Amino acid sequence: MMIQQSPILSVENLNVSFEGARGIFQILEGVEFSLYPNEILALVGETGCGKSVTAKSMLNLIPQLSRRRTGRVFFNENDLLKLSNRELRQVRGRSISMIFQNPQSSINPVFTLGEQIFRLIRMYLKDEIDRLRKQQNLKEKAAVRRIAKERLAEVGLTETDRLLKSHAHEISGGMAQRYKIALALLGSPAVLIADEATSALDVTVQAHILKLLKKMSQKKGTAILFITHDLGIAAQICDRVAVMYSGRIVEVGPTLDIFQNPLHPYTRGLLQAIPKLGEDEKLVPITGMIPDLADPPTGCRFHPRCDRQMDECCRKRPSYCSVTRTHTVACYLYS
Amino acid sequence: MTLFILKRIAGLLALLLALSVLVFFFSRAIPGDVAALYVGGNAKPEQIEQARLELGLDKPLYTQYLRYMGKLFQGDMGISLRTHRPVLKDLSEKIPMSMELVLLALVLAVLLGIPIGGIAAVWQGTWVDETIKWFSAAAVSIPIFFLALLLQLLFFNFLGWFPLQGRLDSMLEFTHPIELLTGFSFVDSLVTGNLTAFFNVAWHMVLPVAALTLGPLGFIARLTRSTLLDVMTQDYILAARASGISEGVLFFRYGLRNALSPILTVIGLSVALLMLNTFFVEMIFNWPGIGYYALMAITSLDFPAVMGIAFTIGSIYVLANTATDIVRRVVDPRIK
Amino acid sequence: MEMVTHDFKKLAEEALQDHRKAQVYNLRLLLKKKLAVFSLFVLVIILLSALLAPWVAPYPDQGKGAVNIEERLQPFSKKHLLGTDIYGRDLLSRVIYGARVSVFGGFFIVLMAVVIGVPLGLWAGYREGISGAIIMRTVELVLSFPSALVAMAVSIVVGAGSMTALIALIIPWWPWYTRLVQGEVLSLKNMLYIEAAQMLGYGRIYIIFRHLLPNILTPVIVMMMLDIGPAIIAIGVLSFLGLGTQPPNADWGLMVWEGAPNLLGEWWIAIVPGFAMFMLVTAFNVFGDRLKEILDPNQP
Repeated sequence: MMIQQSPILSVENLNVSFEGARGIFQILEGVEFSLYPNEILALVGETGCGKSVTAKSMLNLIPQLSRRRTGRVFFNENDLLKLSNRELRQVRGRSISMIFQNPQSSINPVFTLGEQIFRLIRMYLKDEIDRLRKQQNLKEKAAVRRIAKERLAEVGLTETDRLLKSHAHEISGGMAQRYKIALALLGSPAVLIADEATSALDVTVQAHILKLLKKMSQKKGTAILFITHDLGIAAQICDRVAVMYSGRIVEVGPTLDIFQNPLHPYTRGLLQAIPKLGEDEKLVPITGMIPDLADPPTGCRFHPRCDRQMDECCRKRPSYCSVTRTHTVACYLYS
Repeated sequence: MTLFILKRIAGLLALLLALSVLVFFFSRAIPGDVAALYVGGNAKPEQIEQARLELGLDKPLYTQYLRYMGKLFQGDMGISLRTHRPVLKDLSEKIPMSMELVLLALVLAVLLGIPIGGIAAVWQGTWVDETIKWFSAAAVSIPIFFLALLLQLLFFNFLGWFPLQGRLDSMLEFTHPIELLTGFSFVDSLVTGNLTAFFNVAWHMVLPVAALTLGPLGFIARLTRSTLLDVMTQDYILAARASGISEGVLFFRYGLRNALSPILTVIGLSVALLMLNTFFVEMIFNWPGIGYYALMAITSLDFPAVMGIAFTIGSIYVLANTATDIVRRVVDPRIK
Repeated sequence: MEMVTHDFKKLAEEALQDHRKAQVYNLRLLLKKKLAVFSLFVLVIILLSALLAPWVAPYPDQGKGAVNIEERLQPFSKKHLLGTDIYGRDLLSRVIYGARVSVFGGFFIVLMAVVIGVPLGLWAGYREGISGAIIMRTVELVLSFPSALVAMAVSIVVGAGSMTALIALIIPWWPWYTRLVQGEVLSLKNMLYIEAAQMLGYGRIYIIFRHLLPNILTPVIVMMMLDIGPAIIAIGVLSFLGLGTQPPNADWGLMVWEGAPNLLGEWWIAIVPGFAMFMLVTAFNVFGDRLKEILDPNQP
């Protein structure tokens, strides 16, 4: 959590729009945040606020949106938005990996788990395969298999022989997500993006996967961008939290700061909406609904639902201002 | 896996049995006196009576059925009332003639249909896609008998490019007769070096095969397109893309492979469609295959032949379905 | 707890409103593609002509079968726009009358297949158990026989005629709907809102009608739309073989057969009705495709 370090991933003024039948949807507007090496950053927001789109747009995974991205996403001194497809392919999976919400449907159903991991190993780890072959005098297939079993064991999977022969529909959600994490970490990426990676899992399995992610992050030195709609989960393993609302980052700061001293009214609302065990208070939801992307509110998109609304709020979008060295917010209350 | 295959084969046998029962009782339900037809035109009543006894028509129905089944297992389908030859022999000569057309049409439909569907999927939304969609819709909408007649009209009558009917010019039947090895005249003429006949047969085959191919081609193209589109939006494609796999590999190795199962189902259905259409194509193009034989058999109320044909075609159909099921299971492990 | 159910209801209402808005939007989408509009146009014209045949056809009696020997075998002319057939009957009128059999026959077959197949499918999918299993085994059995042969066989046995042909075709047709509906019900059954309804104590019949049926409706309607074409062709096939409509009535399949002997000379006699069938079926298919794209894009 060293702020002096330079970020490994830096998103600057990212805008993504989509031209639909009803007009132009501004999905992301001026998104800015940084991810530092070895840290786990939470990207928190309601469903539909654009957090998934942010991640996917960085790697150009949504073909329909590829031409409607502006801004800069710096990774290793390259602007990802300006890379050619071929260059980007080298980044995907090797330097920046991604895991998704539904692990079982993320695995190709007609191939075995073994076939799929072997393919990736052959893609990313040619050097290691060669090394193993020379050192241990193994055939190529055996070397690949050895590596696969090692990596699967690392994420806590047992009975790897049987696992390699099975198909997606034969394993549980927890096992599938562990498998996917193993795949994502094969190339020792600098960044792992976890897009709602625990949302579809049972609560107990969730806890295990979170622990696994934290462990692997420390072990491999991988920074994690943890996307979730659940602040509670974010609190469990994340060092910093970025709060997103309707296509914009509204607040960024260390986890403890965000929870103890939430600055943006939206963040406060989110925290108030979390039920606390043992307390008798009524749940206080945030009034109103999330904006229609084709016809969003002017200025600060949250202002119609904000209880501290001021005159300037509807005129122009508030810019980021640092309330402390590590805690930034986009709200007129603080500028 | 083996259990699956065994279960399917058991089902197959059960169906064949049911088929035989149905065919048998259906044929007995057709109006007409079998014995009288067997003996022919100016038959005296005693001759008809004698024929009735010979054919075992005096016995109760289920006895007749058992008798028929017994003979069937020995490969005896009875004697055709029309050609006075064993039905089995007739069928063994006629079926390959039809299979020539059907197999060629099927192969063409698959070889052309899948790429066309693929192209439409890749260029979705563009004019290429729209044109292909329209073409496929039209291709499955043409009634086969109309198409056959239209082809004759256009390509024989107006353009004179291809022959009207038949398999071989009648003159060539004498001068360059094809020595039958496999029964596929297309293959046999080539193999025996009878090139004159070969080219002539090929020339005769163009229109019938074209008529047969169009429907399945449209069908396969449509389904390939929609299945591919469905597959390419799945989570695992997104995940694979995120792991750095190139679009080409994604499409061919992941997309097509996953789309295989429904496509195979369609191919299986196309076989059924083709078999029905062959009937009409042979009728109109005078192609001496099983369809033509069936037509003759039905119009002359040739019971043994009709039963033999119905049973054979039904069996092929059921077999094709079972085979498709098994192949699908191999291709897609999710099918139980 | 009270507050929660309130919000729930409100959310549900809003969702329903959105759904209705979406449906209007769908209609606009439908009309966007020119080809779909054109085929709709063709469909409407043919349907109307079929409906209003006695008034639209220039020579209604000939359409119904009255003979007109003096003017036989005539090509396109001002008097007979599509020519005359071997009995001198005006082809345009015959085609219009033939449309009646084809169109209404097609609708009839599909409708009856739905009437028989859908309830069976609902039952088999919702109830499962022994009755469900019996239904599904029957479906498989019927579907494993070549449908054309079955229909032909029934027609031959019962005796040829247009009504017979229609009924004969319903037999191999209904299982497709049962299979479709049963599959949909099975997957919907496990949806949470069904469980919720069950927990709230709603009866089975109510659940089937109020919750399952609307969701089943979309794929069924799409299948129906895309089925009418094949049904029309099937009727044509049977008539072509003489197993359907009998002469002197007008029927496209029958007309093609009647005109086939003259193909090389007076080709229009066979080609015009065949082309009419082609046009109608293509129109249904193109329109059905477009409908499917909009209503049910996820189903291959």
